Amino acid sequence: MTATTEAPPSPPAPSPEPAAAPRWRGVAEAATRWAVAVLGAVIVFGAILVSKGANPVTVFADAWQATLLNGYAVQQILIKAGPLALGALAVVVPSRAGLVNVGGEGQIIIGAVAAGGLDLALGDTLPGPLMLLVMLVGGLAAGAAWAGIAAAMRLLVSVNEAVTTLLLNYVALDLLLALIYQPWKDPDGSGQPASRPVEEAAKMPVFSGTQVHVGLALVVLAAVGVWAVFRYTAWGFRLQAVGGNPEAARRAGLPVTRLLLSAMLVGGALAGLAGAIHLTGVEYQLRPGFAAQIGYLGFLASWLAKHRPGPVLLASVVLAALAVAGDSLQIDSGLPAATANILAGLILVAVLGWTGTRKKGATS
Amino acid sequence: MSLVVDVLSGAVRGGTSVMYAGLGETVSEKAGVVNLGTEGCMLVGALAGFATAHATGSPWLGVLAAVVGGAALALVHAVLVVTRGANQFASGLTLLFLALGLTSLYGSDFVGKEINALNPIAIPGLSDIPVLGPVLFDQDALTYLSYLAAPALWYLMARTRPGLLLRTAGERAEVLTVHGYRTTTTRYAAVVAGGALAGIGGAHLSIAYAQSWFENMIVGRGFIAVALVIFASWQPLRVMAGAYLFGAALALSPALQARGVGINQFALDVLPFLVTLLVLAFLGRRTLMNAPDELRRVFDNTATT
Repeated sequence: MTATTEAPPSPPAPSPEPAAAPRWRGVAEAATRWAVAVLGAVIVFGAILVSKGANPVTVFADAWQATLLNGYAVQQILIKAGPLALGALAVVVPSRAGLVNVGGEGQIIIGAVAAGGLDLALGDTLPGPLMLLVMLVGGLAAGAAWAGIAAAMRLLVSVNEAVTTLLLNYVALDLLLALIYQPWKDPDGSGQPASRPVEEAAKMPVFSGTQVHVGLALVVLAAVGVWAVFRYTAWGFRLQAVGGNPEAARRAGLPVTRLLLSAMLVGGALAGLAGAIHLTGVEYQLRPGFAAQIGYLGFLASWLAKHRPGPVLLASVVLAALAVAGDSLQIDSGLPAATANILAGLILVAVLGWTGTRKKGATS
Repeated sequence: MSLVVDVLSGAVRGGTSVMYAGLGETVSEKAGVVNLGTEGCMLVGALAGFATAHATGSPWLGVLAAVVGGAALALVHAVLVVTRGANQFASGLTLLFLALGLTSLYGSDFVGKEINALNPIAIPGLSDIPVLGPVLFDQDALTYLSYLAAPALWYLMARTRPGLLLRTAGERAEVLTVHGYRTTTTRYAAVVAGGALAGIGGAHLSIAYAQSWFENMIVGRGFIAVALVIFASWQPLRVMAGAYLFGAALALSPALQARGVGINQFALDVLPFLVTLLVLAFLGRRTLMNAPDELRRVFDNTATT
């Protein structure tokens, strides 16, 4: 049963240890390719900035200063990286089974909508911590159910999940908007379409003196959990067998349908949890720009990290930093915040094109 | 009665951009390559078209620029997917991100600007036919062109040699090799042509439909186009029909609101996506039987690297 020839059972996750001697050369080679890829992306990005009349050196220096040398921005990066990493893990789990979950954005929104709805419905009837737990579990379940729609369409009528999850993102967004423009609109709010803030007692506790909330611990826990599941459990192993070769897995007697379904549900649950955490820990209320592309960035993070939980955490922090830097670009250089998307996109183009193992003529 | 006319003519107007993109995606998928970056190609086309039309004063030069822009972005997809063997879905999404960033950076100067737009031209005589007239013959020039595009593409794919090569690349790539053709060349051509068509779709949106540019103006139409191609079983004429179905779902919202029907706007906005999902749910399995073989491989098992 060596179904996963191309994805060796993930190397020790969080910090890739210096590898043993025989692998050293390979690691160095990979590192060089990565460096060249990222450098190439940065150079192209610089050229784009020049074409727009901006001085790339100033922009990079400004962005550096405004993000990494600024305590407030570092906190922003961390609290953005949390849901982003969960959104990425929501891509990781299905992709190990060969499924493409592009629906992180929608699943995050639905998770937050469920959590917010529970908060609106229950009010302060429950003690705070219990309420928080209910909201997190609710978000998790809703995210799983939302992903379940795409899974059902894949398994029952063979419609590819990448297409359906993308479409469901828009459905989720419209659902959120429909709710906060009318029935859930905060009557005591500023007139902006937004739900009323989460009950004070049900907010995620923050580390004192900061904006960083304890939900981030859950994120790290989830990453370790995903890593452990693929490393140690039969379910994780079977999932990867299906991902490697579904036909072989079927003939080996594995319940392929059930495995695919469970992979997608777990992915959706992780994204739903991300939504609930983002609501209770950062945003506190549902508003139109709630998800802010976290789901899509998570998709990029998962592919940057080649679907390995440890590197996913790292990639999430990098992409979150880019996003925060993008906001500062808007203020310092007058460039649109989405400009940072260009760099994220270029890096992934480089990574997809120049660091992967080339498969001859394959179009998988 | 006039509600019907409003919705139908809105269906044609609103469906045209999706039709161009869907036709482009059909070309690409027939050769065995899925391009989720269609959304991005539309964005680039919309901006390139609008900016060029603004700079030159000519909407048609704008359309030309949109063709080039959409094709250029699709070329990146072709390099990643065909030459480098990258995952098609990941590559497509990456392109979308790239396009979102690029168009928002370069497009910020064009928000709120005006252009010589492509306005509806009523065809004398024909446009007086009840119902059909206002629906079909009081449209802009790109829409008239699209009436020809779908049948032309059908002919090209079903009856000509380049069409045969294209289909072979999607059905059994090794046959091309055996006969001395290069699969890569065919796929490059298909993906780039698909991007060019998606670019026209974007241009229709910015130059004729909305007659303006704003950030992220495609809002999912490119993804709808991808879904459309599946439930149209990769047939241009059905893509045309599907695009109008989408357009009708899109047109229902303003038509009802103009009549003061009080429905939550977002409940209507979601219709195109819901309709697409529902049709996929009902037709998905049947149409997938008609999927090009190489494409089905992409859909069935999307490996992890």
